Amino acid sequence: MFTRHVSERLSRYCDGDLAPADTVVVEAHLAKCRRCRGELEEIRFAARLVRQLAVVPAPAAVWHGIDGALDETPAARWQVPVVKWACAAVLLLAAIGAATYWWSGAEAAWEVATNGTNRRLAAGQWVETGPDVRARISVGEIGTVDVEPSSRVRLGESGSSGYRLALARGTISAQIVAPPRLFIVDTPVGSVVDLGCAYTMTVDDDGRGVLRMTEGWTALEWKGRESLVPAGAMCRTRPGSGPGMPYFEDATDTLKAAADAFDTGELSAIDIILRDARVRDTLTLWHLLSRVAPGQRARVYDRILELVPPPPNVSREAVLALDADALGRLREELAWHW
Amino acid sequence: MGQVGTAGEIGPEILDACRRGDRDAFRALYDAYKDRVYSIAFYFFHGDRDAASEVTQQVFLKLMRELGRFRGDSAFSTWLHRLTVNACVDRARRRRTDTEATDPVSLDAMPRRGPSHEDAFAERELADAVRAAIAGLPAKLRAAILLRYLDELSYSEMATALNCSIGTVASRLSRGHRLLARRLAPLRATPKG
Repeated sequence: MFTRHVSERLSRYCDGDLAPADTVVVEAHLAKCRRCRGELEEIRFAARLVRQLAVVPAPAAVWHGIDGALDETPAARWQVPVVKWACAAVLLLAAIGAATYWWSGAEAAWEVATNGTNRRLAAGQWVETGPDVRARISVGEIGTVDVEPSSRVRLGESGSSGYRLALARGTISAQIVAPPRLFIVDTPVGSVVDLGCAYTMTVDDDGRGVLRMTEGWTALEWKGRESLVPAGAMCRTRPGSGPGMPYFEDATDTLKAAADAFDTGELSAIDIILRDARVRDTLTLWHLLSRVAPGQRARVYDRILELVPPPPNVSREAVLALDADALGRLREELAWHW
Repeated sequence: MGQVGTAGEIGPEILDACRRGDRDAFRALYDAYKDRVYSIAFYFFHGDRDAASEVTQQVFLKLMRELGRFRGDSAFSTWLHRLTVNACVDRARRRRTDTEATDPVSLDAMPRRGPSHEDAFAERELADAVRAAIAGLPAKLRAAILLRYLDELSYSEMATALNCSIGTVASRLSRGHRLLARRLAPLRATPKG
């Protein structure tokens, strides 16, 4: 009696990875089929040879390279002569408000450079730049923050347990090389939690913010809501609603506008988002999953699956129920396209 | 290659310490996995030590940056394998120096195992032939073969590391085996081991 060849199952058979019932089928077929026996021999032959490959120890120089990269301070990596920035008088306001509370006892832990002048300031003090002034804040040994003109930044805690700034107004550019969550910038409607990255954050006078990522990842967190923003993507924050849905800057204009509209309550914008989404826009779709009404969630998940094959070990039911583990696994799969 | 796979999973306390920026912990993590990462890259790039070193550095620096995203849904080593395979594939695409991947090694070009009284020489010759044959595989098949036999990953772990189904893993391994067997056929009369 004719049976189908078992070529596609021979590797798993050879490796003992088949279920018992399948093993019986394969062995029964092998007993009768010379061609499949030949293929099995090929597999065993190739596997035997490949298994003989020796471990190759990583040379010591590899670690030296890693160690050096970790040691390399961003101030050196992205060095920009400070003198190029300054085109007006320095306006550095310190010791405002609560700053005086810490002033007497606090160590002046922050180094701030403006117009070629370095000053050490303490937690609680403010850095405020004028219309034509920039400043650079050194974040310990892990990076720098450039403060653009007309900005206001409060210096927070600093040390081995972490660094914290608060951006009240204006624009900062952060370049950080550090383990995740060591550097945090608070804004009026969300905290930018560094996951090892470079980014620009702007906050306007009304407290609305825009985060643009140039390298790595950040998490924007506010009252339990979290938006993960990878390099090339941006995310808006709004008073009252916190971080919106992130989207890639190279997404279609209509998708970006629709995502913004959705965040401000225009729920019908979901149709445009689903229509215009590309594979990497699963970034936006993944965030949309937990922000749409339950009745719309299946549409979003189906669109994700149209763009990216369903990942193993993630059940549809769990995703639609917003199971945290399932969403986490789904995000990890999708993130390879972001 | 069992010794590569025998290194156990690093403990969660080491991972937590790495997340806090503990350099000693990161060094311990590096020591536990460096040879696995380096070996995969080494064979992926046909014994190119510079490429293997570069990929290993990239993988561990990326690991340091993105460790906060690893939440333990899969084994840490599986996640690391995934970073490694992606770094290899990215580098191959970027540099386009991975000529073996698009220009399969011909049988005539491969070292053949001739009669020799020097076992060491013969073993080296055999390893060269196997390495060349692996380098001649398409990248996806190469990655599957290396993860299976260099690090002894299960089909399930490979599916996670390669971002595909177990069926796809099996299919890639089948094709990889077939191609390797054909390219190594000249050695078949006198297989080592």
